[in-house]
Amino acid sequence: MTIIPFLFILKGYGTTEEIYSKFGDSPVIDGYIDLFSGEWNKATKEEFSLEDLPIKFWVMQNDINLYISIQFDLEQGYHNITEFIGLIVSNSSSEDKEDFIDAKIIQFSNISVDEFNYFDYYINNSIFSIDAEINGVGAANLDGTTSTYEFSIPIKNTLGNVEDAVLDYGNTYAFNITYGDVPLYPNGVKKSTIILINLSSLPSSLPSLTNIILFAFCIVVFSILGILYGFYIYKIFRLKANINRVKR
Amino acid sequence: MSKIPKQQEKELKSKEQYRSNEKFAYRSVIISAILGGIFYIISLLFNTGFITIFMNKNIFWNFIDVTVKVIAIMLFFLFMITSVGNYKELIGKPLNWKELLLLFLLSIGQTILNIWVFTFTLFGLAIILIYLYIVQEL
Repeated sequence: MTIIPFLFILKGYGTTEEIYSKFGDSPVIDGYIDLFSGEWNKATKEEFSLEDLPIKFWVMQNDINLYISIQFDLEQGYHNITEFIGLIVSNSSSEDKEDFIDAKIIQFSNISVDEFNYFDYYINNSIFSIDAEINGVGAANLDGTTSTYEFSIPIKNTLGNVEDAVLDYGNTYAFNITYGDVPLYPNGVKKSTIILINLSSLPSSLPSLTNIILFAFCIVVFSILGILYGFYIYKIFRLKANINRVKR
Repeated sequence: MSKIPKQQEKELKSKEQYRSNEKFAYRSVIISAILGGIFYIISLLFNTGFITIFMNKNIFWNFIDVTVKVIAIMLFFLFMITSVGNYKELIGKPLNWKELLLLFLLSIGQTILNIWVFTFTLFGLAIILIYLYIVQEL
């Protein structure tokens, strides 16, 4: 447990950027953005800065998880061996300090060999406590001067879990994106910025009337075909009997 | 010297030839109908969405899904038209345009849930019909 005042959120920010999440297929959370498979192609891509650190930010969702990827470049030797990226999640769109109750952190233990850990923290009165149940997945990788962090955060299925911010479809949540270089939360945070992520609503599960009509038509076609096929097979056997009768 | 007159022998040979052709045609009717039935079941499973293993994964699997659906319908059409054509020949009637149209419409009707399957099947069936028309004309 880390008992450190949760001060970094009080830093001043300009206009909060609002990002709209799009639906897409789940990417592989491995710290690599696979351009060949285009796993993040359907994501909303934004570029903004954590104070003076420019980052590339992808956000995407499916009906289970919210996926976030963060990528940034630092010159050779400037990546700290215990670098981390954290997502401090508010339980609403509120940017008030006490509403940021959840933290998902990918912490490198040794960046030179790509050793990292994913942590899920609950924040109460600025105190970071590790969750009893870890929700979500994270992975990171350093490739040359570029480090990539990938998060997968469950949507809605943390209902009843007081240790996590419960994300729901169609709602907006404040995320504090943090960068730091020592595994101390929040004192290790060097740079951060708050953004708003707007989760898309789930597409209606009710099929449209057109789809119902088309499906019914398709079933009718297959039924007619089945009946005609059965009748045709019957006629073939009748033909065989007729041929045999004529032969006799 | 043969006891059967030459004319009778010719008739016998012709009769045997006819029976052999008839047997072949009947076998073709049965086998084509069975194969048509198999492709009807494959088409039913994929085109109504009972089997969705290839659907909505990525573009490659969607392509496989559409290909399976189109091929199933086209082979169904091809085998059924062969079977019905031979059946009509056995009963001494030609395959008329009404039967051909019915089979064509029922094949196209299977594709109604997917615009890509509809387009490719329409194109494929048009090619088969043109081919059959040319073969008949030559």
